[in-house]
Amino acid sequence: MAFVWFVLILLCVLMYVVLDGYDLGIGIATLFERDARRRHEMLELVAVAWDGNETWLVLAGVALWAGFPLAFGTILPHAFLPLIVMLFALIVRGVSVEMVSQRPSAPGWEKAFGIGSLIAALAQGVVASTLAAHLTIIGGAYDGSAFGEMSWYSVLTALAVAASYLALGYAYTKWKATGELRAEAGRRGAPAAAAAMVLGAACLGAVNATAAPLNLAAPVRAGGFAYLMAVAVAGAAVAWVTLKPASRYDALPMCGLAITVVATFLAVVVARSPVLVPPGLTVYNAASPGGTFDFIAVGIGLNVPLVLFYNWYAHYAFHGKEDSGAGPAQSAIPPVQGAQPGPVSPSQEAS
Amino acid sequence: MGGQSAKPHTALLWTIITSVVVVGLIVVFPLALALPGMHLLTLSRWQFAITVCFHILFPSITVGTSILLCVLYGMYWKTQRPVYLQMFRFWRRIFAVGFAIGVVAGIVLVFEFGVLWGVFATKAGPIMGPLLGMEVVTAFFVEAGFIGILLYGDGRVRPRTMFAATVMVSIGTILSSTWILANNSWMQTPSGFAVRDGRFVPVNWLHVIFSPSFIWRWPHMLNAVLISASFFVAGIGAWYLVKGRALPFARYSVSIGLGMAAILVPLQIFLGDNVAFNVLPRQPAKLAALEGNWASPNTGYVIFAIPDQQAEHNIVQLSIPCLASAIAEDLSCKSPNPPLDAIPKQDRPLMTPVYWGFRTMWYGSMLMFGTLFYATILRFRRRLWTARRFHKFLVWLAPLGILAILGGWVTAETGRQPWVVYGYLRTSAAVSHLAPAQLVFSVIGFCLMYAVMLGAYIGYIVHTVRIGPERDRPDAAGQPRPEQPDQSRPALRKVPAPGTIAPGMASPEMASGEVGA
Repeated sequence: MAFVWFVLILLCVLMYVVLDGYDLGIGIATLFERDARRRHEMLELVAVAWDGNETWLVLAGVALWAGFPLAFGTILPHAFLPLIVMLFALIVRGVSVEMVSQRPSAPGWEKAFGIGSLIAALAQGVVASTLAAHLTIIGGAYDGSAFGEMSWYSVLTALAVAASYLALGYAYTKWKATGELRAEAGRRGAPAAAAAMVLGAACLGAVNATAAPLNLAAPVRAGGFAYLMAVAVAGAAVAWVTLKPASRYDALPMCGLAITVVATFLAVVVARSPVLVPPGLTVYNAASPGGTFDFIAVGIGLNVPLVLFYNWYAHYAFHGKEDSGAGPAQSAIPPVQGAQPGPVSPSQEAS
Repeated sequence: MGGQSAKPHTALLWTIITSVVVVGLIVVFPLALALPGMHLLTLSRWQFAITVCFHILFPSITVGTSILLCVLYGMYWKTQRPVYLQMFRFWRRIFAVGFAIGVVAGIVLVFEFGVLWGVFATKAGPIMGPLLGMEVVTAFFVEAGFIGILLYGDGRVRPRTMFAATVMVSIGTILSSTWILANNSWMQTPSGFAVRDGRFVPVNWLHVIFSPSFIWRWPHMLNAVLISASFFVAGIGAWYLVKGRALPFARYSVSIGLGMAAILVPLQIFLGDNVAFNVLPRQPAKLAALEGNWASPNTGYVIFAIPDQQAEHNIVQLSIPCLASAIAEDLSCKSPNPPLDAIPKQDRPLMTPVYWGFRTMWYGSMLMFGTLFYATILRFRRRLWTARRFHKFLVWLAPLGILAILGGWVTAETGRQPWVVYGYLRTSAAVSHLAPAQLVFSVIGFCLMYAVMLGAYIGYIVHTVRIGPERDRPDAAGQPRPEQPDQSRPALRKVPAPGTIAPGMASPEMASGEVGA
């Protein structure tokens, strides 16, 4: 049961990484976008979906707490500083995206949105690196120093995560946008994806120098790892080819990158399972008692399909290209034209 | 935009900005100086207190407003009257940003349970985790799935979809408060569990969820957020009455706000009474602390106190003789007020926050009740729309419900101390083993960040209110017309004479004074 629950947590984390990954990535991309109108179009892509995307992070956290209380109670203090920084950044970002949407012009909030997204992505990378650092548990409680969990490896993972999110952001933008914004997302997305690949490969290569080396001794593990890495490379290749503005397959870059992210993540899990954090915290010794699993399997597990439906619906309601007017039946969005003096808020535009 | 009415209201804006800065200096500055000398436990408690107090401000506004939005959109959908759409759009602006801040501030809390209270998370995780998990899947995702449509779907999706999305969001907010109350009530009056290997292991989930205090605390809180939103809406509506702007909008807002509150506040006093009589016998220390009484033979009811925890007495105390005895249903003036010194020292909460938290809520509720009583009299005499001084008074009461909720939670949480799971796990044993230096960083960070966010939200509300609901009229420039636009809009800028327009029956079209900027 504990293992099934672990898979559910993995699902949440992966949903989060892909979904909030693209919207954090779009946030980072706004920092490089000089044109106010395009920047605002990008912001609108995020505004309608960020809340649902971010909720996966909460579900991942709470599912970890419910299923593996010892892991929740020790990993979180273990990753204290990057987590707090991430929370700060997510606050700034969530508030600024609504501020920008609700106000006609708020350049300060736009800047805050971009910087908040960047810091959140970097901080999540650092959190990921702490999962490869030695975790000391004494008497069922976390015990460690304030900065000991961060190392050179944290820098590498932080950059890798930020680059991957940026690539996802561009891929999503290419999918949802038209015209100049779409072309630009393609142009800039390719180097971002390349950087993400290189940094990701570097992280995998260097992981053996951390406290959590990859365990590929058993043939099943090695085979699974190799297979998943092959899938990851294939996904990356698809994304690389279809990101180019000339390519008309606009949904493929996002799919390709999502496959790469998921496959890489699972490959690491295959090579580490059942260890959660080295040396001793595993899926088995951190698990909740049976009575808890009975409840969460029914209460939370059965709700997950519904949750997936809501998340899908939130995206479906705004399906199609953002500014082409090809949305649902009664779309009344006027195409954004040069006549608009400043950024336009989605609410104004929508009504 | 926004320029046309800037001048007269700049003073208000500056008052609010200054007050935020002053509060920031009073709270943050001494805290920053005092922090490095504090213990880990104290720092952790301060951080949690600051973040949880900040968070609750937003549900206090948004849960009620989300229900208001449902009603307004439903009314518009049914009647096609522009004023409902105008109200929907205006209140949605206030709702949107508050909702976003509430969400991100809530995410902080989830992670803080693990970061700050790692030992508590490990021990109580088998019970707390699933309850919060239920909140995430039944509430957060529902809200998150439909909030995008609620905020940006107007004109892009069919009215039916809009209405459904609005209803779903408010169902989400209600479910969210339900699970949170189940969670917190379990910490107040734990039941349905066994302690094995130092962990709280669930035995009976029904008893866990419906713990003895949940039955009363849940309706109490739900009612509270509806009341706080009612006063908030009525207060802002009243400001337009004072200014003589957007009168139909203002009257509907005040009418809905006061009308809801007039039903809910008496109910709330009844519910609050039941919370007291059901929860407090289980937590005698909280009862003693909120009554502000130290020594045994006092039969008076303490209406004002400045407690001194160390010396175990009140430095200043004002009490009404015999009233405590009367509340205990003994008119002979013999039943004493329960004293805090009867509780062992190591099991006592701090009296000051418990006492004053409770007083804020209790005196706030009395003020609300009095206000509503007076408003009802005004309404029956058909003078509600001409009582200018009352309108001004209502503006000041806009944040009263929110303050009362804050007070209530301070009572509930500080009164539970020194326990985190009442009677079973002490807060001092629940804290993560972090370095105090880490917490100095995060406490100062949260103080600064939340001061800025609160300032920004208040500034945003002031800005939005100043621009006014005129731009949200369906026929304002740039907005598509409704299907049956009303042609007759005589401009009546003045407040109508008493009796010409019966309260609540004023047709928005008839009394419309303002056309958009």
